[in-house]
Amino acid sequence: MTTLTRQDLNFGQVVADILCEFLEVAIHLILYVREVYPSGIFQKRKKYSVPVQMSCHPELNQYIQDTLHCVKPLIEKNDAEKVVVVIMDKEHHPVERFVFEISQPTLLSISSDTLLSHVEQLLRAFILKISVCDAVLNSNPPGCSFTVLVHTRDAATRNMEKVQVIKDFPWIVADEQEVHMQEPRLIPLKTMTSDIVKMQLYVEERAHKT
Amino acid sequence: MDELYLDNIDEFVNDHDKIVTYKWLSLTLGVHVNTAKQMLYHYLDHKRKESSAQLHATYLVSGKFEDNGQTVRHTINRQDVFRHMFDFRYFNFMLLMFLLLMLLQGHKVSVVKEDQLEDFKSKMSLVVSVHVYSVQKALLKDSGPLYSVDYDAVKDNLKNCTNYPAARVLNVPTVCSVCRYSAIRCAGAVPMSSLELQQARQIHQVPAPEPEHKKPAMNGEANASKPSTKPQKGIMGMFANKAAPKNQDNVKDIKTEQKEDAPVAEAPKSKPAAKANPMMNFFGTQTASECCQQSEQSQYRRACHKSKRVVDSDSEEEKMEKKKRRRIKKPEPDSSDEDVIPDSPQQMKTREPSPSPEKEVEPVSHSPQGNSQKTRKRRRVLKARTFVDDEGCIVTEKCYESESYSETEDDVQATKQASKDPVPAKRPASHKPDEKKSQKKTSANANKGSKQASIMGFFQKK
Repeated sequence: MTTLTRQDLNFGQVVADILCEFLEVAIHLILYVREVYPSGIFQKRKKYSVPVQMSCHPELNQYIQDTLHCVKPLIEKNDAEKVVVVIMDKEHHPVERFVFEISQPTLLSISSDTLLSHVEQLLRAFILKISVCDAVLNSNPPGCSFTVLVHTRDAATRNMEKVQVIKDFPWIVADEQEVHMQEPRLIPLKTMTSDIVKMQLYVEERAHKT
Repeated sequence: MDELYLDNIDEFVNDHDKIVTYKWLSLTLGVHVNTAKQMLYHYLDHKRKESSAQLHATYLVSGKFEDNGQTVRHTINRQDVFRHMFDFRYFNFMLLMFLLLMLLQGHKVSVVKEDQLEDFKSKMSLVVSVHVYSVQKALLKDSGPLYSVDYDAVKDNLKNCTNYPAARVLNVPTVCSVCRYSAIRCAGAVPMSSLELQQARQIHQVPAPEPEHKKPAMNGEANASKPSTKPQKGIMGMFANKAAPKNQDNVKDIKTEQKEDAPVAEAPKSKPAAKANPMMNFFGTQTASECCQQSEQSQYRRACHKSKRVVDSDSEEEKMEKKKRRRIKKPEPDSSDEDVIPDSPQQMKTREPSPSPEKEVEPVSHSPQGNSQKTRKRRRVLKARTFVDDEGCIVTEKCYESESYSETEDDVQATKQASKDPVPAKRPASHKPDEKKSQKKTSANANKGSKQASIMGFFQKK
């Protein structure tokens, strides 16, 4: 069994890569399942050995990629606590919040040679759960949009303000309106525990969406 | 049918929000796929009658599809096609061929939503099969989740697929429908019998002993590198520098007898041999070139050693081994002198009258004659040779030499050689004291190495 510390940046980069890849797939799938965008812009792709839906729209894809590119350094340093995909109505009031709570152990211990395949299996379960979340969520009103929020520690926020990871892609502090939801209903979807990362996904849904 | 399965399916669908496919249900509950299909149908029918929470279902439809009077060759999902083909309840090999033929003629297999079922069936000229594919709460937008549901279950069940003859016969390695709950059956395929299984295992085990037999055939460096039966000797030879007065002949005798046992006990000893070989190679490489140069001397030594072996050995090999080991324990400095000093045998030859070498040769010469009538074997004996190198240092090396022996003549040779051995043994004793020390060292090495069965024996001695 190999035990690594968080100072081992290479391993942190690996974990960040895995999580960012997954978050990209998850965001695309959420947009498809919750019908934020028309299903026509999505095409079937393969990830984790299963079919997933991915957008073909270049600007949408670029936006998601830039967002995750900025989140990646936070995940590497374990400064990101939550990554939230917020679906807002026309008035920019959140109707749904897909919350990905991420935590990484301080001492990363690899106890199995099949770690990555096990992680892939767990992520596959997340994808499947997002695919069927329609069963537990109410329909969204038309004209919804989305945004991505990252909950970090204070020090990480200051660092992000100092260092702009991507030019012309600034990060700002989220509004209180976007962060908190009125009368939220918590629906847990999936939880995973592995040697490299722990993550749980739940949805905060507004009781009255219309 | 037991009604408990309805509660199970209800738990999966409503409580866990799962997509329950017939394949997943079959693997989870351990029932036949056709039974799982019936379960899903009954569950769906039961829930529809209760007018409970809305459920969504998908159906698998197969048949001849015609579009505008033309036969259409089109399949939505290859995996659905193969899975469906192997899940027919009335499936057999001939039917498979029939289905393949139909496929070529426009047979279509599709997974459709419940609301599209009737419309799809109306478009088919011949509906071969219709059954429930999955039941879930959520309204699926595409068939991707259906594949994801079965992926892990199928992957886990892949191990069971190859154990079933139908899979081998049909040569379908990855379709997990070929399992114990599958509808695939082939009367011509039977599992391997225990005899066939043992033969297959023996085939894999046969190559293992071959390298061991090859080792004794090598000379020179191989001799130094192979205490195959007694690797500890080589190792102990490195550490045991004290001259335990041991007849080197006895050591060699023991080693020859051990070699006799080598074919019997080679397997368990091969592992320690592998460990000791590097050590022996270390010593062997130093003197490998000189090993060949000492061949002539070794031949005479063999004769002397052989006589001693004959004296000490009995008919049974085990007793010989014990005696050899005993000889190792009892120091006999006089007998070891001959083996340590390479020059002594030569001097023996020069001083002794001619009959003595002849006599030494006689047992060897007689032995082949005698062996023509009786069983004669050749064996490799670990012998230690001491010689003076160019720098004037006394070097002791151990190497394996092949010699012929006969079990029946050992006694005779032992008696003959026993009378001769004391004479040559005494003479070297009168020579160089340094050589005696080296003799003791080598004998000690040989003694300790030959008698030790394990490294722990080294510590026990001390």
